[in-house]
Amino acid sequence: MIKPPFDPVTLATPFFILTVIAEIVLARFGWAKARYETKDTAASLLMGLGSTVAGVLTGGAVAAATLWVWSHRLFDIPMTAVWAWVAVFLLEDLTYYWFHRISHERRIWWVSHVNHHSSQHYNLSTALRQTWTGALNGSFALWLILAWLGFPPAMIAIQKGISLVYQYWIHTEAIKKTPRWFEAVFNTPSHHRVHHARNAVYLDRNYAGILIVWDRLFGTFQAELDEEPCRYGLVKNLATFNLLRVAFHEWIAMAGDVVRHPRHALGYVLGPPGWSHDGSRETSTMIKAAAAPGALKLAPAEREAA
Amino acid sequence: MSPAFLLQLAGSAVAVGALVATAAWAKIAKPAPPLDDARARALLAAEFPGRTLDGLWVATDGVGALAKSGGLALVLCQVGDGWAARQIPWAQAMAASFRNGRLSVDLADVAAPRAVLTFPAWPPTDLAA
Repeated sequence: MIKPPFDPVTLATPFFILTVIAEIVLARFGWAKARYETKDTAASLLMGLGSTVAGVLTGGAVAAATLWVWSHRLFDIPMTAVWAWVAVFLLEDLTYYWFHRISHERRIWWVSHVNHHSSQHYNLSTALRQTWTGALNGSFALWLILAWLGFPPAMIAIQKGISLVYQYWIHTEAIKKTPRWFEAVFNTPSHHRVHHARNAVYLDRNYAGILIVWDRLFGTFQAELDEEPCRYGLVKNLATFNLLRVAFHEWIAMAGDVVRHPRHALGYVLGPPGWSHDGSRETSTMIKAAAAPGALKLAPAEREAA
Repeated sequence: MSPAFLLQLAGSAVAVGALVATAAWAKIAKPAPPLDDARARALLAAEFPGRTLDGLWVATDGVGALAKSGGLALVLCQVGDGWAARQIPWAQAMAASFRNGRLSVDLADVAAPRAVLTFPAWPPTDLAA
């Protein structure tokens, strides 16, 4: 009930390696659509490698917190019941949706998640571009609700692993669309390309893990549009492949804002990415509003004053 | 960290090396021809919608550009096969160090610390007073 009998991510690692090679080779011979740039690929894969080390360093604290909450659980949920696996699948995926949404909409969580979005490429190596600081801002606390309900920690860990493995294969341009029924229910390469795009219309959309139905339910769904090809990366792209800058740049920027403007510290920490006390920067909402048909084409400060 | 984890980590590091080598071998990065005036304007328009350009200088090696837009300098620099853009005060761009045909612009951003652009001269000779 405590230690997972298996780890889906560890089991899938050979599959990750082989499919990255397959995607590169297929693209090399023109049989699939994919772009790989050497330094970008190295940055993505080394971020993934570093995240496994960070996971080991912080995993003990996360496991201890989960066990403590589970010891105060409301119900005893058996790990052997089929209904319990159906329930944990749905509830973990719902938890992931909200984790992912706050990771984009609040800077204190964006500082970690930004790492996953900082590549200007969208390929299978991008899936492995993971944060080193995910446990530091406490987002794991969302999953403690599942332990409090009574789901065994091992069950939660396995389902989180399954979700992570599922989300790997959708990081590709090689698959354009899946069958319509699948696109309606599940997160797909098309839906997730939208999520990684920096086009105004695509910002802060498609937060799903496995089921895209959460986005449809909570009003954050955006279909990929033929007339709006995805441009990947950040609103303000990185100008460096230095791994330390890739991993920590937004933490440093947030700390700098807090030190420079202590009276507005809460806004800089808990506000949306791009928030500024003087309106000199742009949030996703401002960018989307400015890009909407008929919007005045003004600079951020001018928009603020208008 | 257990010996098993360290072994797994070493194996993963070898795999990372192999995958990066495969990506380098494949040569499937996005095409990134040297910038010309039209392409620089298109990229700047995408990065800074609504901004009008009072002047544009494309780096002689085609891997960057700098534009004047009111009191701002819009800086574009190549990163791998992609682009990064930042805006800084025009005075900051004018004060940037220029040696041996290379303008080193401090972008004052931890995610984009510096842009190095090759120009025949700086400040530009065709800059309107």
